[in-house]
Amino acid sequence: MIALTMIARVADGLALAASIQEDEQSGRDLQQFQSQAKQLFRKLNAQSPDRCTLEAGDMNFHYVIAQGVCYLCLCDSAFPKKMAFAYLEDLHSEFYEQYGKKVPTITRPYSFIEFDTYIQKTKKSYIDSRARKNLSSISTELQDVQRIMVANIEEVLQRGEALSDLDNKASNLFGMSQKYRSDAKYLNTRSTYAKVAAVSVFFLTLIIYVRFWWL
Amino acid sequence: MSAPGYTNLNSSVSYSQNSTPNGGAAPPYQNGPTQAYQSMNPPPGCYGAPPQQQSYPTTPAHSTPAPGKASITKSAHSANYYQSNHQPQQQQHHHIPQHHVAPSPYNVPSSQSYATHPSSGPPPSNAQYNQQQQQQQQPPYATPGSYYGQQLYYPPPGQHSSQQQQQQQQQPTLVTAPASGPGAPLYPIVSYPSAPGSSQYGTLSSTQSTSTPGVMPTQMGAPLHQYNTSRPASTTAVQPGYNAAPPSQLAPTVNGQGSTAHQHYDQSHQASLSYNSYGGVTHSSGSTETDRPPSGTPSTSVHSSPGHQQGVQYGYVANSGASSAPATTSGPAAAPSSSSSEDEDDDDEEEDEEAGGDTSSSSTGSASPVPNSYDSLEGGNFPDSMPSSNDMTNQAASYGSYGYSSMQPAYHQGPASHADSSPSHDPYGQSSYQQYSQPFPNLSQLSAALGGLSGVPELEVEALRPVNLLQERNLLPPRPLEAPEPNLSPELKKVNCSPQTFRCTLSSIPQTQALLNKARLPLGLLLHPFRDLQQLPVITSNTIVRCRSCRTYINPFVTFLDQRRWKCNLCYRVNDVPDEFMYNPVTRLYGEPHRRPEVQNATVEFIASSDYMLRPPQPAAYLFVLDVSHNAVEAGYLKYFCDSLMENLDRLPGDSRTRVGFLTFDNTIHFYNLQEGLSQPQMLVVSDIDDVFIPSHDSLMVNLKESKELVKDLLTSLPAMFSQSRETHSALGPALQAAFKLMSPTGGRVSVFQTQLPTLGAGALQSREDPNQRSSSKGVQHLGPATDFYKKLALDCSGQQIGVDLFLLSSQYADLASISCISKYSAGSIFYYPSFHYIHNPAQLEKFQKDLERYLTRKIGFEAVMRIRCTKGLSIHTFHGNFFVRSTDLLSLANVNPDSAFAVQMSIEDSLADSSLACFQAALLYTSSKGKRRIRVHTLCLPVVNQLSDVYAGADVQAVTCLLANMAIDRSITSSLSDARDALVNAVVDLVSAYKSNVSNLLQSGLVVPAAMRLFPVFILALLKQKALRTGTSTRLDERVFAMCEFKTQPLQQLMRMVHPDLYRLDNMSDQGALHLNDTVVPQPHLLHLSAERVSRDGAFLMDCGTVFYLWVGKCCNEMFIRDVLGYPNYASIPPNMSHIPELETTLSERVRALLDWLQDNRAFCSTIHVVKDDTSAKATFFQHMVEDRSESASSYHEFLQHVQQQMSK
Repeated sequence: MIALTMIARVADGLALAASIQEDEQSGRDLQQFQSQAKQLFRKLNAQSPDRCTLEAGDMNFHYVIAQGVCYLCLCDSAFPKKMAFAYLEDLHSEFYEQYGKKVPTITRPYSFIEFDTYIQKTKKSYIDSRARKNLSSISTELQDVQRIMVANIEEVLQRGEALSDLDNKASNLFGMSQKYRSDAKYLNTRSTYAKVAAVSVFFLTLIIYVRFWWL
Repeated sequence: MSAPGYTNLNSSVSYSQNSTPNGGAAPPYQNGPTQAYQSMNPPPGCYGAPPQQQSYPTTPAHSTPAPGKASITKSAHSANYYQSNHQPQQQQHHHIPQHHVAPSPYNVPSSQSYATHPSSGPPPSNAQYNQQQQQQQQPPYATPGSYYGQQLYYPPPGQHSSQQQQQQQQQPTLVTAPASGPGAPLYPIVSYPSAPGSSQYGTLSSTQSTSTPGVMPTQMGAPLHQYNTSRPASTTAVQPGYNAAPPSQLAPTVNGQGSTAHQHYDQSHQASLSYNSYGGVTHSSGSTETDRPPSGTPSTSVHSSPGHQQGVQYGYVANSGASSAPATTSGPAAAPSSSSSEDEDDDDEEEDEEAGGDTSSSSTGSASPVPNSYDSLEGGNFPDSMPSSNDMTNQAASYGSYGYSSMQPAYHQGPASHADSSPSHDPYGQSSYQQYSQPFPNLSQLSAALGGLSGVPELEVEALRPVNLLQERNLLPPRPLEAPEPNLSPELKKVNCSPQTFRCTLSSIPQTQALLNKARLPLGLLLHPFRDLQQLPVITSNTIVRCRSCRTYINPFVTFLDQRRWKCNLCYRVNDVPDEFMYNPVTRLYGEPHRRPEVQNATVEFIASSDYMLRPPQPAAYLFVLDVSHNAVEAGYLKYFCDSLMENLDRLPGDSRTRVGFLTFDNTIHFYNLQEGLSQPQMLVVSDIDDVFIPSHDSLMVNLKESKELVKDLLTSLPAMFSQSRETHSALGPALQAAFKLMSPTGGRVSVFQTQLPTLGAGALQSREDPNQRSSSKGVQHLGPATDFYKKLALDCSGQQIGVDLFLLSSQYADLASISCISKYSAGSIFYYPSFHYIHNPAQLEKFQKDLERYLTRKIGFEAVMRIRCTKGLSIHTFHGNFFVRSTDLLSLANVNPDSAFAVQMSIEDSLADSSLACFQAALLYTSSKGKRRIRVHTLCLPVVNQLSDVYAGADVQAVTCLLANMAIDRSITSSLSDARDALVNAVVDLVSAYKSNVSNLLQSGLVVPAAMRLFPVFILALLKQKALRTGTSTRLDERVFAMCEFKTQPLQQLMRMVHPDLYRLDNMSDQGALHLNDTVVPQPHLLHLSAERVSRDGAFLMDCGTVFYLWVGKCCNEMFIRDVLGYPNYASIPPNMSHIPELETTLSERVRALLDWLQDNRAFCSTIHVVKDDTSAKATFFQHMVEDRSESASSYHEFLQHVQQQMSK
């Protein structure tokens, strides 16, 4: 069961197309997966692995990155991985043919939302168990999917978060030390002023004393 | 009499409503008997005959048809009218009969009187105009302290009456004062001249005269009686001054005045001018009006009037200076320096300076400067205005006439200023006199300064002219009303949001709630946010610049403190300008943030980033839910619906993702499987209506592009499929539930076609209407919903971004009050076709087809939300329209369509004293049918004022009416209809009494309102006679409820036409002032009052009711018109229910069709036209729109005014 399909540009995580999920199970759950997917797109970069499966509870994210575009779908964990990747490959070949050249130039999110029509059709053929048999025979060469890296979505997202946490803390520390520095400087100057003031008062009294009482 | 009526209109163009030829002619006659006449005679002699010629001939020119016969009948008619209606007012009563009785004297005396003021003819009115306006200005000046602290807009009855009592207490003193004193004898003199005009003239002159006392005290602080005593003297004094003043000297003065007058004119009436044909008309109009001035002016105290003018103007300028002062002071204080803000500040300062200069000079100057001003005047304006009338366009002509018109006042001034020693002045006392004479010298400067001031003051002055409703009868402007222009600097005005999109009831926002309460006008906005626009700047950028604290979108009214920072105009927070914003994509320059399109346009559209999306943009999805019960088959709508949809299938807004679905229902629900690949549509019947389920998930809503053939198949077979249906029950509720389930994954639009009362399953309803109660005047029951099923379902739909539109085609009661909830809360629209039948009611059928075409092809926005923000201190408390309020200020609109409008009510929570401008921003975030997320932002900027008179000057009578209508509808549902009606009447009463006690200071007993609000009582009366709010007339409950729904959702222009239709005379249209649009000439006939007396049998009249046009053809209508326009040889051969205008090759036909097309042009739904013959029964539908006449159960305009007056004095 494919619950969600999204296509995004890897460079900046801009969503290009998506398939509206229609299901009874839509709602809060899916909303949460959707935001996870969006976060994931922001995390991805050129160094990310081309193919990856991310576990998220009883659902799995599968994604494929090709030509700077990331194709991602959310499936039940029971859904064959092989199928999922075949599906993504399928999307890729069609998408690249239709819009591949335009991808780097667009700025508006969901510019190719019309691709949704194709996504839905393809999805249907992959979900349909009768059609599935035919497909599976075709895509045997995708056997190597077994070797695809598996990770946990939380970890992937967390990793970034931990780093940014560290970053935050470091910058906090930096800010605080800066503050300490300036405070210390300020204190120093103040004490200097106090000293100078004391000395000058002393001399002033001296002079007055000399001027009025000495003479 | 039609002739005069028309002339009237023509002439009235200039000042909107003052002259009837009749009235014009009459005055002299009347004058004769009175004292005033005597005094007047000399002047005529002085001036000689020439004017006579000028003025007289012109009149006929206007009056088209048969003046002789018609006029007599009409005058008689009107005389009766007056008699019956005016009884309370003794003066008028006297005069009018006189005036009408002797039409023949008309010529002789009138010529004389005309002669008197050859050149000044038209001006008089103008002069009075000026004076009055200025006087108005005065009050706030003088009486800031005197007001009652009334807090409630609609006070509860008890409180209300107490207030009235209060007012009453004041009134007596005010009113009696003039009469009681020595001045009493004077009164008659004054009033007499005015009486002739009774309808219009009378008003002016009498208001003037009566008003003078009122003003004087305020100005001079002198007791009333003093004034009175002086009065007689002045009248006598006048004469000499009049005569003695050498013409040459006079002329300049006149000019001076003229120049100011010009300005008034230009600015305030520009719109109307451009429409109106002034060519020859102006002259005649001037001439017709001539009499008025003589009659009115001589009798009034002459020098006092100049004094007024000057003093007033003076006062006014000072005022404006004062009001703008806060702006400047606040400017520097808050915003130290910035380029753009400096600009604005500069403007303000300039204004200040100018104003200040004037005031100072005027105060220092004495009478001596007078010559100077004359010189400058002479040199400047007079010559100009003269030639201009010749070589320039119509407008110019009017201009010229205006120059003339202004003579009157100037004239008076002349003597006054020069004749310092004249006894008449003594009573005033030296000091007061000085005061008056001072401003005089620099009148020219003043006018120049005012001209430089963007002319707004004059505009306001015009808007503030007090109008005595009981006397002035011609209130309508020649062309449909325009929104008042807010008093802003030209730059701001230029960029401000179009009034069609965004309109405020008060175009000058009062500074405090106290001031608002004092004005007794509702504060609110009317907006039409998704209107079809000709041009719209669309901005694509990665960052949409918004205020960080209040999230306001950057707009033209923000101030740039420097290149890198801008200050929000709503919350005054200083924000940074992002780097990207520094680059201007239009000019391709860097470093010009203030030149970006966002900052140059008040209406812009942003392409939203993914931050503005909760989910990927939804596809356009349309589900049609069709009633196919026996009743529906009988009505026969299905075939026409299918045909229409078939035709427009390719024009449905959407892209390749567009989805459609169909669902029919009677006592069961039928789904249609249109899955691609099927050979024909498959019908799935669900008979379990108690627990509706969706039989198949992905094949019921199908991609239109892919299943187009199947959809077409279905549409062709659908009408026949149910033709044999005998099922009379209707399971609307379950069908809606099914639709909800079907659509909830995507959201979209559900169009429900219903033909009867739902009788099965959830949401079944019972008939609640008692036909015998239709015309009861007691109160109407069942305006609210009978069940909350529809509301709950609508809220669910709204949550899933489903909008439900309802088409009700019912001949029986279908409880629209309950069913309409489904659309009300899901931001849908409601259409109602009472007694729809495809054979018996071709008119409804045509309307249905046209509406459907527009409905199917119009723009649509999905999953929309709208938020309205306003300047800190203002708060929005009530929303009107179809939507669901999700949080306090967020309107959730499942669908947004370009034809629905919204209204909001506002209150002022904190004083706005620290800002000179108030801004409102409406932001509509929606998904276009192409799957783009967009934000449409409208920003409106209005000035903040602290004077009550300014508030009145900026009142937008149409907007006020519409907002009140919305409030009244709410009231009638939550409380009762009679409550709502009372509230509306009280709104008029409150306005008049508030104006009387706070601003006008007039010592007369009439109903006086500011000119800006002069149509308010008419509109309210029309509202009370509208289907939604009327009582006593038989009205079906559904029709009433539908009218209420319309009030909530129709845009202002449309609403106003429905409330107060536009009436034009077609058979004598001229090309004068016609619009020329791409080779077609669109004639611009004048608006007529909605009264049967304006309609004559020998004419053809077009009534524009918004959704329908009525072309009423009189029995004796010109055969040429019938032949040329309708294509029939004579009246008798016109078929009784003709509903189209044939395309004939004649000029007249072309003109009429051009006019119709032009009227049709900017409205969304095509209006049908009905040709109504005088003798058919359809006549009643035409005459029921004559709101100023008395109907079987509702009072006439005059009775209404009298009722208001009674209420006031209660």
